[in-house]
Amino acid sequence: MRARTKIRAEVILEVDGREVYRGPSSSFVTNFSKLLLGMLSAPGNTAIGSSGAIASTTVTDTDGLSKTVWTEWYASGTYRGGGTPMAMGAPDNDSSFGVVVGSGTTPVSPSDYNPSSLIPHGTSTGQLDYEPHTVTSSYSSTSSYVEISRSFVNRSGADVIVREVGLISRSYWKDLSAVRQDIKYLIARDVLPNPILIPNLSSLTVRYRISLSL
Amino acid sequence: MPREKINLNIDVSTVVVQGREVKLPFLKCEASVDVIRCEKLTDVIEKEEPVRGFIEVDVRDSEGRVVQRGRHEMRSFVNNLLRMLEGFMRAVGGVALEFWGVVASTTVIALDGSSQTTWIERYAPDSYYGGGTPMALKAGDNDDSYGIIVGSGTTTVTLDQYSLASKIPHGTGAGQLDYDPVTVEDLGLDTSVSPPVYRLRVIRAFKNLSGGDVSISEVGLVARAYWKDSGGLRQDIKYLIARDVLPTSYTVPNGGSATVAVTVEVVLG
Repeated sequence: MRARTKIRAEVILEVDGREVYRGPSSSFVTNFSKLLLGMLSAPGNTAIGSSGAIASTTVTDTDGLSKTVWTEWYASGTYRGGGTPMAMGAPDNDSSFGVVVGSGTTPVSPSDYNPSSLIPHGTSTGQLDYEPHTVTSSYSSTSSYVEISRSFVNRSGADVIVREVGLISRSYWKDLSAVRQDIKYLIARDVLPNPILIPNLSSLTVRYRISLSL
Repeated sequence: MPREKINLNIDVSTVVVQGREVKLPFLKCEASVDVIRCEKLTDVIEKEEPVRGFIEVDVRDSEGRVVQRGRHEMRSFVNNLLRMLEGFMRAVGGVALEFWGVVASTTVIALDGSSQTTWIERYAPDSYYGGGTPMALKAGDNDDSYGIIVGSGTTTVTLDQYSLASKIPHGTGAGQLDYDPVTVEDLGLDTSVSPPVYRLRVIRAFKNLSGGDVSISEVGLVARAYWKDSGGLRQDIKYLIARDVLPTSYTVPNGGSATVAVTVEVVLG
């Protein structure tokens, strides 16, 4: 008998723990497809003594530059080589990747490479204090999900308005001698149908949830 | 007497319109004694799924003539794909140059049914040539352990499946198929459809040198996490990320071949 699994992507926003928006995330951008292409193109059976980039793909980084992202890479004559092609778990106070928010309203385009107007980390006017990420998941034979969430605290002294959310990933490869690759690239962006007002000292939580169901 | 206001958020259930499942709009409503005023928060009409795909099977006889061909909706990503996504969400990048070890991992169910910790971000210790890849699919010639694999099983798909019901192994014996290398094609962005989609295609051909007919009724995608350094192979885990039972069984005649193409479409904003 044939079954059919459904994939859903949702974005959920809460202000001070109260849900203010929940809707389908419709906004993977081209970079996400390129990364998927790059990873699936990796052979993953490289000889022990080999080095260099075995598989890669091309993305547009958050500066708008075309960059080659390695999806299978090995260091050469240096210790402690390794990395990851797609990291989303940015730490506390880091607004350069992971879940980010912005104030722009430019409609989503497949070629987007950045939020149209990122709200940076900070405590000054128009800024938000970026917290670390939380990842939760649940798996069963009929319904599963994985969710990445991040909170943003408004310590700016005034209201901050959020109109867009995004997900920025990072490719990072290094060895003992140097960082060999550090590229940040947008993989999803959603413009909210209504602006979300974050009063001073309030907290916004953004959750991206991907689910599978039968 | 002041009017009491009540805020309501209504998530109305699914309906079927012209055979298609549709979600009614989210409504934000304000109710008082004599009036309920609602505004549409957003359309949540069931949008296109963010990732979808289809499977094409092309069967030819020993003379290269098409004897059976079909195109089917891809219906069945399984939990391991989400588990890998969870791993990517947990990876951080940006470790110090001196650091070694595993920064991020996830748990997948390997092909043998065992639960395996799969590295997403890993740095070798004091060995050369450290590195790897978490989700490779491009299997080489004669390798039936990952990439596109085919089988003869028809067991119903569930999300926690970790292998085909009955894999057809590589080989030239009875009931076997000769697995060719996997190729991956970038079909690019298609803006002629709304919403636009980005397509990539994974292809594998299977030759029947078994001496008899071989029937294909299920198709799987198996990925591979592979990490090594000069001290040795540190991780090599293969895990199912999708399985489809085909609505039609495809019979590959002796001397003939089947080409299976899985096209994945990422629906873009």
